[in-house]
Amino acid sequence: MNNFIQLVRNEQMKLYSQIATWIMLIILGVLVIGFGVLMKVDNTMISGEGPTGENWKQELQEQNTQLKEEQQGPLDPGEEREEIKYPGYTDIEMNEYRIQNDIKPSGYDVWDFLQTNRSLISIISLFTIIVAAGMIANEFKWGTIKLLLIRPISRTKILLSKYVSVLLFAGAMLVCLYVLSFIVGAAFFGIDSISQTYLFRQAGEIQEASIFQHTVSMYLLSSVNLLLMATFAFMISAVFRNSSLAIGVAIFLMMAGNSIVLFLMEKEWAKYILFANTDLTMYLEGTPMFNEQTLGFSAAVLFVYYVIFVILAWVFFTKRDVASN
Amino acid sequence: MSQSVMQLKNVSKTIKNKKIIKGLDFEIYSGEVFGFLGPNGAGKTTTIRMMVGLMDMTNGDVMIQGHSVNKDFKKAIRHVGGIVENPEMYPFMSGWKNLVHYSRMIPGIKEERIQEVIRLVGLENRIKDKVGKYSLGMRQRLGIAQALLHSPSILILDEPTNGLDPAGIREVRAYIRRMAAEEDVAVIVSSHILSEMEMMCDRIGIIKNGELISIQSVEDALQQTDTREVSLEASPVDRVHEFLKQKLDSPVQLHSNTVTFSSTREEIPGIISGLVKEGVDIYSVNVNRSTLEDKFLDLIGENSIE
Repeated sequence: MNNFIQLVRNEQMKLYSQIATWIMLIILGVLVIGFGVLMKVDNTMISGEGPTGENWKQELQEQNTQLKEEQQGPLDPGEEREEIKYPGYTDIEMNEYRIQNDIKPSGYDVWDFLQTNRSLISIISLFTIIVAAGMIANEFKWGTIKLLLIRPISRTKILLSKYVSVLLFAGAMLVCLYVLSFIVGAAFFGIDSISQTYLFRQAGEIQEASIFQHTVSMYLLSSVNLLLMATFAFMISAVFRNSSLAIGVAIFLMMAGNSIVLFLMEKEWAKYILFANTDLTMYLEGTPMFNEQTLGFSAAVLFVYYVIFVILAWVFFTKRDVASN
Repeated sequence: MSQSVMQLKNVSKTIKNKKIIKGLDFEIYSGEVFGFLGPNGAGKTTTIRMMVGLMDMTNGDVMIQGHSVNKDFKKAIRHVGGIVENPEMYPFMSGWKNLVHYSRMIPGIKEERIQEVIRLVGLENRIKDKVGKYSLGMRQRLGIAQALLHSPSILILDEPTNGLDPAGIREVRAYIRRMAAEEDVAVIVSSHILSEMEMMCDRIGIIKNGELISIQSVEDALQQTDTREVSLEASPVDRVHEFLKQKLDSPVQLHSNTVTFSSTREEIPGIISGLVKEGVDIYSVNVNRSTLEDKFLDLIGENSIE
């Protein structure tokens, strides 16, 4: 075990000795701060602003009336439409739910900022894919694999230490994103209340949850996609020993995944496609792609894919000869 | 005889129905430098890769200090230090970090040991620099340092002088001889250059088309060859030419102020003292070992690509 920790330390040392790794961290930091500044400067970027004054119920009611009028049909020519005051509150039922249950909308604060920045997880996925793809392929490219494998350590252990390093990197990036977003968000938009209630729709139904719990859940669920894609890239890297191929294929699939599912939507087996299941947030906030899908179903499908990736990586890394380049 | 540290037992390798290595059988002893000689493509690197477990053997086994590479890899490889092909290191890390990296992979290597091997290969002044800035000679030294970290009993160096300048080659040769003599390490060196092998090895195994065709002790090989080519630089060179023509049966060649002839080892002192009596000034006498090279080429013949 002690031995294994040393191996992981080695991998971390190699990873953070490369300038590329630091550039990735810096890009992430710049994006978070940049988003914060942009939203602070330009209020129109914030769609979550709602009525927070004393008579918020009345304002929401007015907005609802206005929304209903709009739904009734096109305007007569010449008539000017009144601008919607709170573009973040256009869900009539949701507004009514708020009024009935006395859930006052909160202003745009650190929690909303965190929610916005969740989209940056795809950037982290991208970076993690790059790191995972290079993890094994680069040792072959540098020729250092030969020195790495002629030590009294099993190949399985070396492979595992490399995989753990990828996960540690992804974890570090996620923590950076969360912490930095919190700091930037708190500095720019303030902390409203940790106990505020967040409203969202799950499969059409309105649900409420504590904002903190909800944000953490969303971040964790979003990370599942990251985990699968990183493992996929790692597997390609171990099988083909070529980082460009691993990066290319993994990023292509990450981008095209949804289109692939939509394209094959009609097929009976479409729900078993990896990308039909990677976005677990659809079970928390949104609607599943297929009727039969449940969180358990997706988790099982993902688990099977995960095991296949890991086994492939293991078989190819431990069994194959290290021949001349 | 020193003790045997590595045995190859009928080691074979077949890739895609082609026999690349055909049943190698030999032993290597502590304190000796064993040269693994053969033309390019003869199977030197493949054999070395099998010795260190980078490639699987189709048949046979390699025993290192009594441990089988196939069955007990970790115990066997513990005794091996090596460089396979080029001394490749992580270019973005310092030499020091590279050594720390490898030291972490084998338990029990202390920082003092790392400093010791750095001194041994003479890299003290540049060890904090990034390896990317090293010359090939320095990388070769760092490669040797890495191989010595865990005080192995067998050192495997694949083409250790590849790409080095003459000074570098000489240095590496000196390290290798010192390792064998002082630390009683067995050293396996592969190369396709005969002259280099003669200078650093005790025994040379010759491999051709995946078969071991001969193992020779370098000393024996030199003694066995009874005639050798001698070139002599002297003046006046014509007198030397005449003298030798009378004394020897074999042809004598004359190039500017050097004469070249074949003779046995025993004849040489007589020839020189005879020439001195003749009043000839001798500037240099060189014994060319080309006869050994001829022998090697006879053995190797054409290394046909099958």
